[in-house]
Amino acid sequence: MKGGIPVCSDRKLSPAEAPATARESTPSFLSTDLGKSVVLIALALLMLFAGRLVSPSLGGLNQISAVLVLSSFLIVVAFGQQMVVLIGGLDLSIPSMITLGGLLAFAWTPHGVGELLLVALAVMAVTGAVGMISGLGVTLLAIPPFIMTLSMGIIIYSACLGATRGTPRGQGSETIEALFSGRFLGIPLIILLVAVLAALAILLQSRTTFGRFLYATGTNRQAAYIAGLPVRRMTVATYACSGAAAGLCGLLLVGFSGGATLTMGQSYLLPSIAAVVVGGTAITGGRGSFLSVLAAALLITTFTTVISSIQIEEGWRTILYGAVVLIAILAMRDGTTPLTWRLLPLLRGNKKQQST
Amino acid sequence: MQGEPADLVRDESAPAELLLRVQSLRKSYGPTVALEDVSFDIAPGEIHALLGENGAGKSTIVKLLNGIVQPDQGTMHLGEAPYHPHSISVARQHGVSTAFQELSLLPNLTVSSNLMLPHAKKGRFGMISERQNLEAAEALLTEFGVTDVDPRSLVANLPLASRQRIEIVRALAQRPRLLVLDEPTAALAEPEWLFGLLERVTARRTAVIYISHRLSEVRRLCSRGTVLRNGCSIGTVPLRDVADSKIFEMMVGLSQRNTARSTVAAKQAKPSLQLQNVSGRNVRDVSLTVHDGEILGVAALEGQGQRELFRILAGLEKLEDGQVTTSGTPAKLANPKEALRAGIGFLPEERKTEGIFAGLRTASNISIAIAGKISKLGFIGTQSERRAVADIAAQLDLPVRFQNRAIEALSGGNQQKALLARVMVSGARHLVLYDPTRGVDVGTKQTIYANIRRFVENGGCALVYSTELAELVQLCDRCVVLYGGRVAAVYDGHEIQEERLVAAVTGHGEH
Repeated sequence: MKGGIPVCSDRKLSPAEAPATARESTPSFLSTDLGKSVVLIALALLMLFAGRLVSPSLGGLNQISAVLVLSSFLIVVAFGQQMVVLIGGLDLSIPSMITLGGLLAFAWTPHGVGELLLVALAVMAVTGAVGMISGLGVTLLAIPPFIMTLSMGIIIYSACLGATRGTPRGQGSETIEALFSGRFLGIPLIILLVAVLAALAILLQSRTTFGRFLYATGTNRQAAYIAGLPVRRMTVATYACSGAAAGLCGLLLVGFSGGATLTMGQSYLLPSIAAVVVGGTAITGGRGSFLSVLAAALLITTFTTVISSIQIEEGWRTILYGAVVLIAILAMRDGTTPLTWRLLPLLRGNKKQQST
Repeated sequence: MQGEPADLVRDESAPAELLLRVQSLRKSYGPTVALEDVSFDIAPGEIHALLGENGAGKSTIVKLLNGIVQPDQGTMHLGEAPYHPHSISVARQHGVSTAFQELSLLPNLTVSSNLMLPHAKKGRFGMISERQNLEAAEALLTEFGVTDVDPRSLVANLPLASRQRIEIVRALAQRPRLLVLDEPTAALAEPEWLFGLLERVTARRTAVIYISHRLSEVRRLCSRGTVLRNGCSIGTVPLRDVADSKIFEMMVGLSQRNTARSTVAAKQAKPSLQLQNVSGRNVRDVSLTVHDGEILGVAALEGQGQRELFRILAGLEKLEDGQVTTSGTPAKLANPKEALRAGIGFLPEERKTEGIFAGLRTASNISIAIAGKISKLGFIGTQSERRAVADIAAQLDLPVRFQNRAIEALSGGNQQKALLARVMVSGARHLVLYDPTRGVDVGTKQTIYANIRRFVENGGCALVYSTELAELVQLCDRCVVLYGGRVAAVYDGHEIQEERLVAAVTGHGEH
């Protein structure tokens, strides 16, 4: 093998599987997770500034900050959803879990940082445990994730409805609200908190055994089982993650709106899936990183914010929303990354094409 | 360099009439050149071999012929007309059909539906008629001599060998002018069936492109062969006149490496892996012992219980009766994790579905079994991972630049080496290797043999099943033959000869 191969000796890589090779060997910046994130965030900024053309109140620094605060909820739930998708599942119980988390946080009303931490942990433990039950249903009883989490969502929602009789009791917590009103070095606390959590999430995925097992199990369950990985435990853990993340989101929402309602989680299901998929996570599992999901959550929130502040009818709004998600998915898809490249010269007035 | 076989490159036996003419094909995927310059031709009724190591470009040629990808340069002619298919269905219309190596059957459909795709028989109202399809499929199976497969069974439930036969029947059912067979015997235990069929179709002047790593088969079937190396066609040779070593030399660019045949007789060693009266599905009362420092071969035709036996040891199949002992301790084998804990490292049959984690880097694929050990507080450092796999990867000829790529970007042979590296670093002392060289090239085979040998010399043991008897002859210290789920014969050292094994696997052992 060494040295002595005459003719075209420089590549002993398999051309047989070269389509994959080509993708792998040209780590064009756009196909990396960082590249995808940069593109998504650039799109989000573009959207904000385009908004400025429509209304002068849009597109300022203040609005960027507002969008960041608003996206924190989606970022948190999208993390949980992505974990489940990475292992090859799907979590439809997210809205009910948000509601459950919100109701608990509302009822337990923390005062002071110590209590807040305690309540946050307690809320996440409860919703995480409920997520774990979904995970057990999926692994032990072999119920399809779709069905299992849908049923779990309905059960949780009904339980919340029954327990509160429709009117949640409790108090808004100033400590949670302080996350949104307080600032550190001029940056809203919530943004810092989400940034720290996101950094932890990225570390978890890329640098730990847990992350390694997660991707391995997600790409090839059978091979993971044969290699002796704790496939079931991993699966259960991802659903627990998703439950805990949704619970945390509920708690944050209580701080943001000062109260809890039974429908507070409703609008997060589809965006959570959209963020995961737009962020380039394979819906079949095993591929994708949280960095680009985070960027996708920012893009989606930006879009909803901008579009709700311009004067168009609700129907058109939804159509536009769907179209943007679709285009973003197409542009971010691994195989079609060149599509983004091909579009770039058009945006730049064909300068590049002429020069080559 | 190594004496280019220039005298062989010129082909003097070029036939007068040609069915397929391929000239100067070139294909690259991005910066990776898959084919650089490939030319060859085939006459009607000829069986033409494509020879080359993994990664030489054979699969790319198959894809070009089927219109799955299009060439960057070069031309193909089918008969007199230029041929440039842009999809499989166009290729079929031109009479080119293929039995793919990575079988193209749909596992969730029945055999008959697979055979009838894409033109299922329609009954009244244009609805697909189950009955007519079944009849047509039955007729096809009978015509092509597949009598033991029920056309109503799901493809997913069939053993690999049957799936491979169905894949071949499906290609033949198109009545092609040009039949492409990519490693058709990789999973077939009884290739005679295929050879008979090939005689029939070539008599009808169908030309066949035959891709196989098994040189003895190729010699038997093909009159000419084209040797590929690194995307170039090195030459077309009449196979009759050329020695094996010359062909290997053309393929690899080197004289054939020394074989790994053991001369060590570690007979006094301690029992390392012991099976006592092991029974399970398709396995009846198997007792055997592998000693420290020993490679024990398992020879068997397809479906003699070897697959189940190996899967019992891997913790994937239920051990119904009997006992397995590793290094003197009774082993619990309820799942793969326990098997690993008992020190058994299992290399599965299908590397794509049971082995690799496609998107993960090769280094991570190797280290996955020891991820817990190399991590600190649950964190895995890139450095510690690199260190953990460096030695084994070097021994298996996996350069660092491969270790950092996603494993899906590597050739089949290199993937196989990575999987072997995985079981070897896992800490297992007892390797249980199911067909470790399936579909890999000559060079890789030698690397794999040498590493199995080195592993057992360092105190481990290995149980190896192979579909190629010649491989067992070359590699093993002892060899057992399974027949009907039982041990039918055991051969020791120099008693392991291909003729004896052939007799024993077919149930004619002297025992």
